[in-house]
Amino acid sequence: MKTDCKTVKNSLGAWLDGELSASETERIRMHVEGCPSCSGEKEQWERLQVSLRGVLEGEASGVAFEPFWDGVSRRIFAERPWYARLWDWAGLAFVPQRLAWAIPLVIVALLAMFSLDQFFAGWHWGSNRGNGSAVDSIDGHGFNVAVFRESKTKTTVIWLFENQEDEDESSGEPASAESSF
Amino acid sequence: MELSDWELVQRCQEGDAAAFQGLVARYYRKVFMVVLGILNHREDAMEVAQEAFFRAYRNIKGFKGGSAFYTWLYRIAVNLSIDFQRRQKRTPTEFRETMDELIDKREGAEFAKDPYVDFQGKELEQRLFAAINELTPDHKAVIVMRAIEGLSYKDIGRILGCSEGTVMSRLHYARKKLQEKLGPYL
Amino acid sequence: MNLLVSPRRLNLLFSLWLVFWGGSLEAAEKAQQGVQLNIGTILASNESDGFDSKLSKMKNQLEVIKYRSYHLVKEENQKVPWNGNAVFEIPGGRTLMVMPQEYRNNRVSLKVRLQEGEKPLLDTTVRIRNRGNFLLGGPAHEGGVLILSISATTQ
Repeated sequence: MKTDCKTVKNSLGAWLDGELSASETERIRMHVEGCPSCSGEKEQWERLQVSLRGVLEGEASGVAFEPFWDGVSRRIFAERPWYARLWDWAGLAFVPQRLAWAIPLVIVALLAMFSLDQFFAGWHWGSNRGNGSAVDSIDGHGFNVAVFRESKTKTTVIWLFENQEDEDESSGEPASAESSF
Repeated sequence: MELSDWELVQRCQEGDAAAFQGLVARYYRKVFMVVLGILNHREDAMEVAQEAFFRAYRNIKGFKGGSAFYTWLYRIAVNLSIDFQRRQKRTPTEFRETMDELIDKREGAEFAKDPYVDFQGKELEQRLFAAINELTPDHKAVIVMRAIEGLSYKDIGRILGCSEGTVMSRLHYARKKLQEKLGPYL
Repeated sequence: MNLLVSPRRLNLLFSLWLVFWGGSLEAAEKAQQGVQLNIGTILASNESDGFDSKLSKMKNQLEVIKYRSYHLVKEENQKVPWNGNAVFEIPGGRTLMVMPQEYRNNRVSLKVRLQEGEKPLLDTTVRIRNRGNFLLGGPAHEGGVLILSISATTQ
């Protein structure tokens, strides 16, 4: 019995850890169930295990992720050369994946906003879009020239009309001006 | 859908540091527990655990997936802890509250259902750490990994670079030592 | 190779590409090719009522010139290099010459000459928005007047 207890106690840890074969497991179980000494030792070992786990888990549960990660990422950044750190930064290394894609989306939105006509080239002659034209120079070669701007679309209109010296009437309104050509 | 360790590792290897953040979130507490079990010093454990993750990040391209990621990670953490302790040769005291402090704290605090049991439990914790602290780093590593993670002997052998038989004998030795020290409290 | 495969690196490259692409749009347009000129010749008159449906998009622009009818006589496109001269035949023996000079701030500078036979009627330089237009009107034609819509689009 004593020899048997010694053998069992030597295998008690492996038995509790589930590292023995099925037959050995059964043999130890049978013995422990009928042996107060081995049963008591088994309980001690179990309590030891539970206590150790409980203490460490209690300590670890107080460690928050953010400060821990700060320490890790600080090391990563400190270790890497400046260009690698820049690369990390530009690659949004520590930003969630989905947020990272927001950057090009924002760029697209800004580009679209500032240059709509570059993206939506639906214009053909006669478009109603604002033109914002400017006349830098003009020479009517002796003819009268009126330059005005259509208010809604800001379209520049250049109008040639009769030389006033040759006509009795004049008008600033293109529709009423008689053409001389 | 949660990615597996190996998928996260592959993303890290492609330069995706956010995937590494995911791995840290998954394992930082367990790594901290292993390191704390060996060093028995909270601040040192924090430093070493963070360093372990940093080393893992730096070397992750060399990880080929031949073993589980966590065994590779634990190996780094355990080796760092053992090296750290050998270099420091520190007698850890900061982590453990003294019995006086413990008693002071309990005055005015709400007692557990059975104050005696609670107090006895705290005392066991103190003695437990004192007993573990007397083990060699290798023995500490074995008993802590088995206690916390429930790693198989095979996994622990891989982490520590030794055979399953060695793991078994180290565990047995460590447990017997603890049992000797803590007998009356267990 | 991994750098190219990583979603984050792809993200970065895409962002950089967007920035460079957006920033170089204008320069690229001018540097690569020339200008597409579009000349629409419209006959405006008071002899009848009517508005050519092909001009519907120009209604706002034409409203200010108070004629009773508008009819699209012809429309012509020409692609011309920078500082090249495009010549358009205008009804009534007239000629319109347009030379795109430069592209700056999303505006195309056009040097325009209208002549009747060899006789110059008008010389002007106008800066219009890319894909925009301006109107040149006044020459008499078939009881009304011609209105030229001149537009430019960089290529």
